[in-house]
Amino acid sequence: MSELKPIFNALWRSKTGALLLIVQIAVTLAIVSNAAFIIHDRVSFLNQDTGLKAEDLFRFNLYTFGKNVDIAKQQEIDETLLRAIPGVADAVVINQVPLSGSGDSTNFHLKPTPQQSRGARAAFFMADENLLNTLDVKLEDGRNFEAADVVYSQGFDKTANVLLATRSYVNELFPDGDGLGQTIYLGDNPFKIIGIIAPMKGPWLDDEQADNVALIPQVMAAPFKRVLIRTEPGRRGEVMQQVEKVLLASESERVVSRITGVDKLLLEQTSQDRLMKNMLLVLITVLLLVTALGICGLALFNVGRRTRQIGTRRALGAKKSDIVRYFLLENTLVSLIGIVLGVGLALAMSDVLMRHYSLPRLDNWFILYSLAGIYVMGVLAVYWPAQRATLISPSIATRSV
Amino acid sequence: MLSMTNISKVYRSEMVQTNALRDFNFQVNEGEFIAVTGPSGSGKTTFLNIAGMLETYTGGTYQLDGIDVGRLSDNGRAELRNQKIGFIFQGFNLIPDLNLYENVEVPLRYRGIKAAERKRRIERCLEQVGLGARAKHVPAQLSGGQQQRVAIARALAGEPRFLLADEPTGNLDSLMARQVMELLENINKDGATIIMVTHDPELARRAQRNIQVVDGQICDFKLYQGGLEKQRAGAEV
Repeated sequence: MSELKPIFNALWRSKTGALLLIVQIAVTLAIVSNAAFIIHDRVSFLNQDTGLKAEDLFRFNLYTFGKNVDIAKQQEIDETLLRAIPGVADAVVINQVPLSGSGDSTNFHLKPTPQQSRGARAAFFMADENLLNTLDVKLEDGRNFEAADVVYSQGFDKTANVLLATRSYVNELFPDGDGLGQTIYLGDNPFKIIGIIAPMKGPWLDDEQADNVALIPQVMAAPFKRVLIRTEPGRRGEVMQQVEKVLLASESERVVSRITGVDKLLLEQTSQDRLMKNMLLVLITVLLLVTALGICGLALFNVGRRTRQIGTRRALGAKKSDIVRYFLLENTLVSLIGIVLGVGLALAMSDVLMRHYSLPRLDNWFILYSLAGIYVMGVLAVYWPAQRATLISPSIATRSV
Repeated sequence: MLSMTNISKVYRSEMVQTNALRDFNFQVNEGEFIAVTGPSGSGKTTFLNIAGMLETYTGGTYQLDGIDVGRLSDNGRAELRNQKIGFIFQGFNLIPDLNLYENVEVPLRYRGIKAAERKRRIERCLEQVGLGARAKHVPAQLSGGQQQRVAIARALAGEPRFLLADEPTGNLDSLMARQVMELLENINKDGATIIMVTHDPELARRAQRNIQVVDGQICDFKLYQGGLEKQRAGAEV
């Protein structure tokens, strides 16, 4: 370490370039560590398991404008027709589409209103007894809906009285884990929890309670409805092309629209997150590149400025490896000072991001990874100029000034 | 202790081939103080560079303390240079960002000498050149003569067997030049072998032997205690 002292002294005596580089390294570390942390956070968010095979699911809207159409009856016909299309695994008319980014949620409580009791919010999907199979979500405990459980209504004039729910939701209402078979209330309407289903996401990925999902066996007859179809793997494209023709053949006074894969809906829902991730990646890349160029540039400048000095050092006995070592140590010193400042700056930046943008606290590992990365990048950036310095002949020391 | 036999040095560019040294034969004995003179472009500096292993030669044999320099690698030459040779340059070649102590320390660090021993040598050598009190100063705070004395201290700190001096008074006024010359004479009296390239015939006369280089060959004048003897060009000395 005693070698660092004269290098530090030399840097201190002509400090402008080194100080600029120290600031650049500190800022780079602060931004890169925070950006890497946000990217990691977004990648985890984007790669989370939805519990659904989005690539096999698609949805569409069906709006019936014919005045003489029996909506409820036509709905039954439609479901039968759709389930008969080759390649369709199952289909349901549904109130909202999972992973679509829009939908409804509600609070169920342990006691009917107006009594005060524990409550928890959940996204709720309403469809007939084919819902679980259409979603292709496993029943972990209890039983699935039966045809007798399904309530057909014009609105909320009557409601179902059973439901299925994810375990995370049931456990939120019943922390002791004994929710199966219990009754919960939506207003004063009772719903008995008859089954626990495997984890699945509701309509929103970025919801704090995205895992809280309830399935209700109820179908409301209305001119406008959404339909969710699951196809056999790899057959979604061909089924998507047929649905409009099949449905219009049965009843022409209606419009089929927005035939869209659920994976595409998911992509639309997460487009901002992917954009942010990509922009931060570009930012990190550019910053690292600029810093690497800064380090390389300063080293090259120093090689040029110190040509005679390097020749003199060689004349006094420095081996080529000593010259490389000198530049690496000099860079290490600059990097270390920049890194120390950068760690403080990274934590301060994280604090600001936490307070103003509700981001989680920066994980210290990201600072560690970033500083290691920046240090290694600095070593690589300085290596080429250092190698060039070794090509300076010691005989330059005797050339005239 | 230094022996050059038929040393030649050729510089080649696309258009031109320059024979900087031709059939250069030269021996140096322990404790000698030799002045190398000659007109500009005669090959003095090339000779000094080869003697100091600062550059390689094209042909011939060069032995330093019995070691065949031609067989050494770049690292081997650097090591031998560091251990056996002290350099004094016309432009002093002090490192401007380092203080005097750190400047003198440079060759000692490359030799791997421990800190305590380095300190002892640096302090002794700076005292020897009369700059012990200014160890923390940087070169820019010194006069030219003082800078050259620091360079001499740096050359001495490694306790070399040879001192190679390239126009050591070339950038100094006459008073400073005299002081530096007296310092070199004292160092020589203490046992160091000195080879000094100079343009100044007055200084050359103060050496024990004067080698004149013309067109890359030796045209030798010997100066022994006032006696003058001329030898033919290219003769072995």
